[in-house]
Amino acid sequence: MQFESTRETVAFLARRATWGLGPGELDELESLGVEGTIDRLVDPTAAGIAEETSPWADWEYVYDRSDNEAARARTFEAYDRWLTRLADTERPFDHQLAWFWHDHFAVSLQVVRYLPAMLDHLDLCRSLGRGDFRELIRQVTTDAAMLIFLDGATSTGAAPNENYGRELLELYTVGINNFTEDDVKAAAIALTGWTIQRRPTVEVRYVPIRHDDTPQSLLGVDGVHDVDTTVAAVTSSPACPVFIASKFARHFLGDVDNQTIFDLGATFADADLDIATLGRAVLETGAAGTASPMVLAPVPWLLQAAKSTEVRADIETLLGALRFLGQNPANPPNVGGYPGAATWLASSATAARFSVSTGLARLTAPDAAAMVAASERDWDALADLLLRPAGFSEPTLAALDGLDASASNRPGEAALAVALASPDLLIA
Amino acid sequence: MTISRRTFLGGAAGAAALGGGAWAALIRDGVERAPLAVPTTTTTTAPITTTTAAVAEAAAASSARLPLTDRVLVVLEMAGGNDALNTLVPAVGAYHDARPVVALADTELVTLAGTDHGLHPALGGLTPFWDAATMSAVAGVAMPQQSRSHFQAMDTWWSGVAGAPSQTGWLGRWLDLTLDAERNGVDDPLRAIALGGGSPALVGSTTMATAIRNPNNFDLRTQRGTDADAVIDAFLATASPLVADPTLAAAQQAIPGTLDAVELLAAASADDLAGYDNATPGAGITAVDLLATAANIIQMGIGTRVLTVGVRGFDTHAAQIDSHDALLADIGIGLERFFAALEASGDLDRVMVVTTSEFGRRVSENGSGGTDHGNGGLQFVFGPSVAGGVVHGGYDLGSLDNGDVPLAVDTRSVYRSALEWLGGPGAADGVFDELPESLPLLTV
Repeated sequence: MQFESTRETVAFLARRATWGLGPGELDELESLGVEGTIDRLVDPTAAGIAEETSPWADWEYVYDRSDNEAARARTFEAYDRWLTRLADTERPFDHQLAWFWHDHFAVSLQVVRYLPAMLDHLDLCRSLGRGDFRELIRQVTTDAAMLIFLDGATSTGAAPNENYGRELLELYTVGINNFTEDDVKAAAIALTGWTIQRRPTVEVRYVPIRHDDTPQSLLGVDGVHDVDTTVAAVTSSPACPVFIASKFARHFLGDVDNQTIFDLGATFADADLDIATLGRAVLETGAAGTASPMVLAPVPWLLQAAKSTEVRADIETLLGALRFLGQNPANPPNVGGYPGAATWLASSATAARFSVSTGLARLTAPDAAAMVAASERDWDALADLLLRPAGFSEPTLAALDGLDASASNRPGEAALAVALASPDLLIA
Repeated sequence: MTISRRTFLGGAAGAAALGGGAWAALIRDGVERAPLAVPTTTTTTAPITTTTAAVAEAAAASSARLPLTDRVLVVLEMAGGNDALNTLVPAVGAYHDARPVVALADTELVTLAGTDHGLHPALGGLTPFWDAATMSAVAGVAMPQQSRSHFQAMDTWWSGVAGAPSQTGWLGRWLDLTLDAERNGVDDPLRAIALGGGSPALVGSTTMATAIRNPNNFDLRTQRGTDADAVIDAFLATASPLVADPTLAAAQQAIPGTLDAVELLAAASADDLAGYDNATPGAGITAVDLLATAANIIQMGIGTRVLTVGVRGFDTHAAQIDSHDALLADIGIGLERFFAALEASGDLDRVMVVTTSEFGRRVSENGSGGTDHGNGGLQFVFGPSVAGGVVHGGYDLGSLDNGDVPLAVDTRSVYRSALEWLGGPGAADGVFDELPESLPLLTV
């Protein structure tokens, strides 16, 4: 994707690396310029933006499974704190990285079934998500949510469970074809002993008698026998930086050529697996034109549209819409993470996108800039507010032109709904 | 049932010109990976009133008297790697030795006449089909060179191509090859419908399928105070003409077929949920629910030739006794009701059901009361032309392949039989690199 102007370039960065912009914020990024915008995204601290704590940090959390109604309310509050943070944060790329790692590890609340552990895991993805990749993997490996999710907690030296060992290699660090079945077994054995104490609260424990300390050979490294040596072996594989770079590229840039991935992998390796460095390189190469158009998943699609329309929906509505669209936050459908373009282009997602767009247009205030532009039939202004400063595609423009102003009692509502549902908004 | 059908598809006249290639590339790139999480199945356990024996009798008595084009193939995809050995259980000591915790006791098993295998008790309601010889099993089935990776195994099962990536699925290639003969070259996304999420098996290079995650809320909602038809028409207008960018064009291409499918399938979903409330996990996407929708679609007679039904949760690494029981109950009850509904409407003799799952699980259990990824798996085949009551292949527990059930039958042989039933002799020609070995699955 080549960009004609600074405004188009920073709008691209906003679509890929933020949770949307409110009216006027694209002007700010344009004045920062492309490099300035990337600096602001990748290193907000240097720009004077304060570090954040966990969205759930100051929460007096009481765990009581006996009261279903209270449990439901707590779950909603947890989601509210999370999605509100995504909407309000001044460090949007930190949360984009956190979301990337959440998708990467694909830990699901429906499997973990213990909210505090899930929230700790999600915050791990945020607090370590822009730091040292080795440390991230180290912490996730013995994280309570992960020990439950991929059965590490019930794996013993006597009968190792391969679930985590396999996905650590296949999905989290080196990728398919870069390990053998023997490596899976070795990782599974070396990681035994880490388990969960469930009562009175969920705590991670290391139980030496459950561990098999026999030295293993893992990815050609001998003497692997515990978490630290396992993490060292998998992250020192030359396949690791390339694999992680390929996942970054696919997530933030769409389809790119192999050379771009190798270059990003080399940058990541040279930076000793520093994630922020990889993040910067990805945004820089995308801004320079290597990115491809990509299909937005429902969470970024909806949050970005809500920012543009200045809609602050209550959490039941927001979460209901996301589930209806097919992406339930904190619940990837399987260990491969959230689905990709095919799912968001499929019939059910297309129908849901239309329905949610009509709902979002209904929730948009009459004096919101997007509604004003729609009612004035100023399609260029509307497209700009929706982070498409180059304007809508010809078919969408024709559709908006062909829509009678009387199609909704509220001026502009029908046009805004069509613009939000249009193919243009689905593609970032 | 007469349906007045708006011709939304007319708006997509450019679709074929663009070529499904862009579409297919996107699909392959963003393959929806079948869910593997621990199930939250909300299987209904209401009593089943229809006598399955009667269904089975009708199935047995049926013959291929309908035109071939009325036949429907239903592929039931059990994602996560169904534990074959605990589904169709071999009556041998080696099975019990390998599974001190998760093995089913001989006394629990449902006898399958004429075999030395027993059926998981949750599937007991399917035995009338076995007895009526309209149900068969294929044990030790796999794709050659498949791995223990969910994703590589699913890819090769979906594609029907061994040992290499493929841009298309085995059903998608059949849909491509028959488009001219069956539809004069004009694609209809309703010819193939995926329920429970998209199936890459349906990806063709010139044909498109309709993918519906949850039929319960597959609809278009507009707001009071807006002209619904005008808004929907404008949404349709954004779809044409197709733009040059293939990604944006793919988003355009999805719209006309979606509008068509919504209109046609509104009547097919069993229920409708109010608002956006999807609070009950699994509601609408259990095998019971999805197969009920599949039966409705078949009964509507809208020209659907292939249906996939995707059910998740079979990755039973831990504490699998209860979860596997619930998963199979969902499948068993779902199939019983599906066949009963088709029997009642007189559609049973034009439907074949084939189950799939990307691998069977390790013969020996792990320490978590579960089983890890394995190789040779299990398929069931149901239908009027099935040479029933037979276990094809088998589990060779005496010569394990790295702890796994070795491949006894290439699943492409099962696919070949299914396609030859669906499309007549020669229907599998050109779908695979080379024609898979024939398996005596069918009576004709």
